[in-house]
Amino acid sequence: MEDSTRRRQQRRNQPSSSTSSTAPTRFRSQKLSTNPTKTTQSSNFVPRSNTITGTTRDSTRNPAHIPNWKSEANAATNKHEEETEAREDVGSIIGTCPFMCPEGERAQRERLRDLAVFERLSGDPRKTSPALAVKKFCRTISLKYVQSSDVRPLTVLEDTLNYLLNLLDSSEHPFEVIHDFIFDRTRSIRQDLSMQNIVNERAIHMYEKMVKFHVVSHQRLRGCSSSSISSLQYLNLEQLTKTLTSLYIMYEANHNNNSVYENEAQFRSFYVLLHLDSKNQQTESLSLWFRRVPSPIMKAKEMCFARQVLRLYRMGNYKRFLYTVSSEASYLQYCIIEPYVNEVRALAISYINNCCYKVHPYPLEQLSKLLMMKELDVESLCHSCGLETLTDNGENKSLPMKQTTVTAITRHIATIIIQNCPSVVGGSLYVLDVTLFF
Amino acid sequence: MAYPSMGEAHRRITDYLNNFSDAVSYQDVASLAQLFSFSSNSPPLLSVADALNFFQDANRLIKQSEKFSQYGEILAPLFRSLQSYRTGNLVDAYHAFEKFANAFIQEFRNWESAWALEALYVIAYEIRVLAERADRELASNGKSPEKLKGAGSFLMKVFGVLAGKGPKRVGALYVTCQLFKIYFKLGTVHLCRSVIRSIETARIFDFEEFPRRDKVTYMYYTGRLEVFNENFPAADHKLSYALTHCNPLREANIRMILKYLIPVKLSLGILPETSLLEKYNLLEYNNVVQALKRGDLRLLRHALQEHEDQFLRSGVYLVLEKLELQVYQRLVKKIYFIQKQKDPSKAHQLKLEVIVKALKWLEMDMDLDEVECIMTILIYKNLVKGYFAHKSKVVVLSKQDPFPKLNGKPVNS
Repeated sequence: MEDSTRRRQQRRNQPSSSTSSTAPTRFRSQKLSTNPTKTTQSSNFVPRSNTITGTTRDSTRNPAHIPNWKSEANAATNKHEEETEAREDVGSIIGTCPFMCPEGERAQRERLRDLAVFERLSGDPRKTSPALAVKKFCRTISLKYVQSSDVRPLTVLEDTLNYLLNLLDSSEHPFEVIHDFIFDRTRSIRQDLSMQNIVNERAIHMYEKMVKFHVVSHQRLRGCSSSSISSLQYLNLEQLTKTLTSLYIMYEANHNNNSVYENEAQFRSFYVLLHLDSKNQQTESLSLWFRRVPSPIMKAKEMCFARQVLRLYRMGNYKRFLYTVSSEASYLQYCIIEPYVNEVRALAISYINNCCYKVHPYPLEQLSKLLMMKELDVESLCHSCGLETLTDNGENKSLPMKQTTVTAITRHIATIIIQNCPSVVGGSLYVLDVTLFF
Repeated sequence: MAYPSMGEAHRRITDYLNNFSDAVSYQDVASLAQLFSFSSNSPPLLSVADALNFFQDANRLIKQSEKFSQYGEILAPLFRSLQSYRTGNLVDAYHAFEKFANAFIQEFRNWESAWALEALYVIAYEIRVLAERADRELASNGKSPEKLKGAGSFLMKVFGVLAGKGPKRVGALYVTCQLFKIYFKLGTVHLCRSVIRSIETARIFDFEEFPRRDKVTYMYYTGRLEVFNENFPAADHKLSYALTHCNPLREANIRMILKYLIPVKLSLGILPETSLLEKYNLLEYNNVVQALKRGDLRLLRHALQEHEDQFLRSGVYLVLEKLELQVYQRLVKKIYFIQKQKDPSKAHQLKLEVIVKALKWLEMDMDLDEVECIMTILIYKNLVKGYFAHKSKVVVLSKQDPFPKLNGKPVNS
């Protein structure tokens, strides 16, 4: 395929606001020479993933070089998308596509009837419009064959992102459907951003919004009941982590630009809250991760909150954990912590059952205050943990101690327990008035 | 920079070439290693560098004689590197050094015996140090620093060369340690995993065969990794090995080991003497130790805050934070002893309000519910033996061994 339509250019990382002219420490002054493959190898300043395994030269099977926009239900191929999604060292592109979806793709998907519900004109699966069609994420894209007319420039990407996030308020469709669409289309936005190597402040704000989307989905998918939910949750968590990691790299690269610090503490706190449980040693330990976080961020309010929660969780201090979370967590932080809240409550019951005096059952009323749950919900939780409750002549309910039937609680089980008791869902600490502030 | 005469420069360079060639012929590794130990900044080496910069046509000299030209691929980049090093152009010095090192490895492979291992160690060390300096130069010019990463890749190659059945394999641990230093510096600590796996599971390696110095360094780094992952028994084993096998005169190294071993030991309930902390200048741990001895939670919190940046940077902050439960245990134990003195028959019953009062005295404001929660945790994790009577708000301690010692095991999670 001819690459005459693609232009190689200097990196476009113009920071939008003032920069100190005396600070030489930006890793940006790379001019691509006429032999880009050699120099770009060493001039990437946003560290590339090490797993670049080369392009998929599909030319024999796909002579027209139209990328495959297959749907992504197949988790087995997820491994490879890491590699193809990684920025390839062939120089960056300047996108010129003025629409949310490149025209060629739009026409092709109309023909193939590959249109999501949100993209259909009056519900017609064969018709869309520039106002509705949004570029799909393309797994097998090879940077060498990409045309700049297929890539959307920064302004268009910003508008596309805002359009997508507005769909979250839609009540016409179940949340899984909305989520699935936004999940895929925002991934495509990130792909366009990275192909053009845009890592400035505006890109940071876009990534922040996308992280928020994944965080909210993390919470909302738990309330859904379809059969594919657990794979959606898994994929969502995966993208949340990836987007966060990219965001941190961008923060690190932009450290001279002070306005970035505004949100960095909050977004760093998400990482801590996602890793409260240290038993998973696949990921980098928090001790190691903390070493890289700048000191002012570590001391910022949102990080202090997250570190406090971490300490309380690891200690098992259920009382203070629940209190701190209920009084200080922001909505987004709560979305991440919620599964831990349920686990801690279940663990608290298990501790109390284990340690208290056998002869006196523990009043549910007191448990309910302690665990910040409605009494009925406490009762359900006890039952789900395999514990019996007593009712005396009046209305006082209590939990006998030292029962041996308590089931082993893991966070996964705790979440299922809570989900299976419809009344318990209402025992969450937040009255969820889902007004999303993006 | 001294300016030799042309004749003088010629002589210095030719001497150097002769030294190189002779060292290889007679397998004189000490002399050989000196020839590329840039960081030593030895006057003879620097004077050769000056000569090279003055003479400018050293390649001609190399080609002049078969004695030198047989090593042309090695010597030419070595000279270029030395020249750049001398003029302070470290990025170029690094590039050329890497070329030299690659060429050297090719030759090294052909030498059957392991006579040149010490020279290889010098190369491994120098390439890392040069890469670090080159990266600093790049960063100060606003460019992306990735020479150290490149040095890491090179050393992995060297590791591969050494990982065979022959006598050269004892060099693998030294190279591993250089790799550890690189990965720790870059923060890409997860890359240590594959080398560790090779060392510990490959049948060609027998850990005991490696030189003692390398074993100590290896255990130090792998011990630190265990600390990051909070595997305290494993961390204790490795760091203790490093400590016992470390040359006692190397106080700086002992200090580095202790810096990580102390938090580990504390987590296992073993406290160091203040004299140890003083001797090795690790007084940042002093208040932590005192807090554990006294059951003083306020002091622990204060100590963590005072040295927060330092503890975070070394990666022991979370480990020290976790000591809180042991401090609580100590506090409750003290209350128990005081009660025992007043009235032995009732000592095993601790009223919650007494504990609340003690904490208030330490300026820790906790309500009954929270203290109840803490007591429950202590009992559950076997730091306190007994049960909690919530109706009367009393902790009833077991008559036997109510405060079990950790005995070298970490607190149950």
